[in-house]
Amino acid sequence: MTTAASRPARGPLALLRRAALYTVLAALAAAILVPFGWMVSASLKRNNEVLTIPVRWIPKDLQWHNFADIWAKIPLGTYLGNTVLLSLAITFLQVLTGSFAAYGFAKVRFRGRDTLFLAYVATIAVPWQAYMIPQYILMQKAELTDTFWSLILLQAFGAFGVFLMRQYYLTIPDELCEAARVDGLSEYGIWARIVLPLSKPALASLALLTFVNTWNDYMGPFIYLTSNDLWTIQLGLRSFVGQFDADYAMIMTGSVLSVLPIAVIFLLGQRYFIQGIATSGMKG
Amino acid sequence: MAHPPTARSRRGLRTTLIGWSFILPNFLGFALLTLVPMLAAFVLSFMDWDSYNPPEWVGLKNLERLLDDESTKVALRNTALYALGHVPLTALAALALALLLNRRMAGVGFFRAAAFFPYVTSMVAVAVVWNMLFNPSFGPVNQFLHLLGVENPPGWTTSTDWAMPAVVLTSVWRDMGYYMVLFLAGLQAIPQEHYEAARVDGAGPWQRFRAVTLPGLRPVTFLVLILLTVQSFKVFDLIVVMTDGGPGRATLVLSQQIYRQGIIEGEFGYASAISLVLFLLVLVLTLIQFWFNNRGER
Amino acid sequence: MIRRKMLAAVGLAMAALLPLTACGSGDDTESGPVELTVAVWSLASTPEFQTLFDAFHKANPDITVKPVDILAADYPTKVTTMLAGGDTTDVITMKTLADYVRFSGRGQLQDLTASATAQAGKLAGLDAYNQGGKYFALPYRQDFWVLYYNKKLFDAAKQPYPENLTWDQYVELAKKLTSGSGETKVYGAYQHVWRSVVHAIAAAQTGGDQLGGDYKFLADQYRTALALQDAGATLDYGTAVTQKTGYASMFESGKAAMVPMGSWFIAKILADKKAGTTDVDWGIAPMPQRTGTTGVTTFGAPTAFAVNKKAKHSAAAQKFVEFASSLEGAKAITGIGVVPAFSSDEIRAQYFTLPGMPTDDLSKKAFAPDKVNPEMPVSDKTAKVDTILAEEHQLIMTKEKAIDDGIKEMETRVKNEVN
Repeated sequence: MTTAASRPARGPLALLRRAALYTVLAALAAAILVPFGWMVSASLKRNNEVLTIPVRWIPKDLQWHNFADIWAKIPLGTYLGNTVLLSLAITFLQVLTGSFAAYGFAKVRFRGRDTLFLAYVATIAVPWQAYMIPQYILMQKAELTDTFWSLILLQAFGAFGVFLMRQYYLTIPDELCEAARVDGLSEYGIWARIVLPLSKPALASLALLTFVNTWNDYMGPFIYLTSNDLWTIQLGLRSFVGQFDADYAMIMTGSVLSVLPIAVIFLLGQRYFIQGIATSGMKG
Repeated sequence: MAHPPTARSRRGLRTTLIGWSFILPNFLGFALLTLVPMLAAFVLSFMDWDSYNPPEWVGLKNLERLLDDESTKVALRNTALYALGHVPLTALAALALALLLNRRMAGVGFFRAAAFFPYVTSMVAVAVVWNMLFNPSFGPVNQFLHLLGVENPPGWTTSTDWAMPAVVLTSVWRDMGYYMVLFLAGLQAIPQEHYEAARVDGAGPWQRFRAVTLPGLRPVTFLVLILLTVQSFKVFDLIVVMTDGGPGRATLVLSQQIYRQGIIEGEFGYASAISLVLFLLVLVLTLIQFWFNNRGER
Repeated sequence: MIRRKMLAAVGLAMAALLPLTACGSGDDTESGPVELTVAVWSLASTPEFQTLFDAFHKANPDITVKPVDILAADYPTKVTTMLAGGDTTDVITMKTLADYVRFSGRGQLQDLTASATAQAGKLAGLDAYNQGGKYFALPYRQDFWVLYYNKKLFDAAKQPYPENLTWDQYVELAKKLTSGSGETKVYGAYQHVWRSVVHAIAAAQTGGDQLGGDYKFLADQYRTALALQDAGATLDYGTAVTQKTGYASMFESGKAAMVPMGSWFIAKILADKKAGTTDVDWGIAPMPQRTGTTGVTTFGAPTAFAVNKKAKHSAAAQKFVEFASSLEGAKAITGIGVVPAFSSDEIRAQYFTLPGMPTDDLSKKAFAPDKVNPEMPVSDKTAKVDTILAEEHQLIMTKEKAIDDGIKEMETRVKNEVN
């Protein structure tokens, strides 16, 4: 069923099926995007018109100037720059160390490997609320709080990337590695020349998900970044929440702006999810 | 977790060193910055600590207190219920989306992006819109149920019985795109030739799915199920924004309880004890999944 | 074996982490220019902070203030974490009394008893900071609750402005002021979702104790709240809480004729009218009272500054805290519509000269209530009781529980869960 449609459609029946598929997909997409639509609509309203009962989907008069005003109300440019820097650095390190470590867990057999891996995975289960303060004290001792280093170091070495990459490496046949070993390639060579090029879709998904999670992270930057010129976009958005009320119009305007780069990243990354690229010509 | 008997121990040492050299760059950072604070938190579950003054050893007091704490028990039950709904539904929805969108067709990028967008839509927008859809009096969900002839449609997020199903549905909608990405990447690893071979053998679409797609996706499915289990037991943000544990304690979950006991009430020892229990619970579930997975691989 | 090794490793880690060496607190004898750090929330949307900093710097030219801007929503989380790590920010703003109890109880704040006794009698809300005869913070702001009303909607319904209302009259009036349906519906009243709207007002006006464990004093106020809701004269609680309805939106867009709310809302309406986002024709009136009582009783809550135990500049920090709660500090924040803790006729008069402020007699009367009781009593049980009361409040307001059952549940839970 996954490959049936990868062939060009032929005949009137196939055309009809294609039309039906598009209709279903379009309806599904529209339904899924409803809250996003609300977000866009709210970004074009006055603040005291955002949360009304009943919901007003189309603003009375469109407040396009919200998208200009937000740049004056908060240093959005700085925040965006910081967020891009952090997201890129963390994603790069996570993908690099994660895919490297995953090779050790998937393709090298040594004593204690699986136990260590289980311990790695288990730590994902500990909620951040539990170890937040000990972690902060550690960072404070290292005098890294209120710098990007604290966040980069904390988030670049997670177990998530290791776990994800290991699972994909498992789908690569061991015979490929064996053959490379016979050809005299070192383990590092196998990782770099055989395994890594074969796992492009996995690398793309790891990079994509890490990037998005870092981009949208709030608690980490909130706890570790105090100086305003280090703030990320999520902190900037929450700065519209006051003690007793919030400027939801500005929050939604900012949210729409902050989603745009993610949309671009997603459309770039998802191109790697096309069947046949990864393995074609490799097996034979 | 069997090890192939190595011919010579020197070779064993060599591969061990090679294995560790791969793992070390990640492990060093991870152990120092995450593992140490985690272990500190676990030790703290046997102590009284207010986050500032030196902690005091109290043995099992925090764990005993946990047994009588009604709110923690309610939170534990709610978390389990949430996971029970969230894990299978999200996994199925994500797999279905991935299969549907794993094809060469014009505009597939747009549809994939649409499926992923709930994950990046502002949480406040998600909470407001879903609460509006679920509104008991004017929400479209109940209007639809009325049309179907349901006399007394549920009160969803304003009802103690229906708040959790409402939250689960919202979270499935939000997370399915995220796990779809993992499944999509997994589908790329299945060699085309396997499908061709199955077709030659006369297998229909369902048989090809059973015989080729599912086995090929096994490592990814394992990944998705473990991640989903872990994320379900740690759920926090969505609940805080959507119901904040309410009405009453109907959607109170463990992470919220840890946060309240620690940050809000300043009892970090007790908060750590709850997180230790949460961790052990998830560990057991993970071990079961590992065991099933290993058995299946054999 | 392994276990012992593990324990040793953990012990080592703990030793490195936990018992923080108490680094010496500030140098009191320093002279010359000082940069004072002050932890505040949402600096950009809370103009009172910058106003105070500017006024303070003008009075003390050798001290500059550097704000440490923390997001309002998670202010206690960040401050708790920072202080746990031994942060040396000089002045910490106490957002709520519950925060104050925790920070002072752990010994994270400096003793300000001397400054407090010097100001006694002049600072509204000071009593709330009394911790066994000692004070660790000084209030600079004291908000209290009044009834905001929309003059245009009252005129249209041909109703007199809400003077000397009882709660029953308030409900009847709200019904008369309700009109329209669907998108054009106007509610006679809007009761915000916070439990204080029921609990704090009931406690203030009946003398009930929210920490006491006996909650029968809440029953009348719940009847009022549910009567409004049943009559459709206010937005129902379930919708308001799930749609995150803003009380400011409800009032400023003319969807509610009466809104009981804290005095901080004055500054917001003034600012919004100035910015042109609302044209509401408004006034304030005293809170409705219980039948058969005289005088105006309402509730309120103070906001205070405290000095960090590990402050780098203790002397300057103390100077700032004293300045903020003095007459000069009060004058500065009154200028932007904030109600200061320092109370005097001069300040009250200054308040009504603000541009845009309604100056009718009813508004002036509302601004001088006879009695302002604390919103929530302060003790180490406050946080726990607050959680329980808030949870049960939701159940009563969404009608999952009848009033009496809900109150009984509050009593049982407080008895069992708070020791």
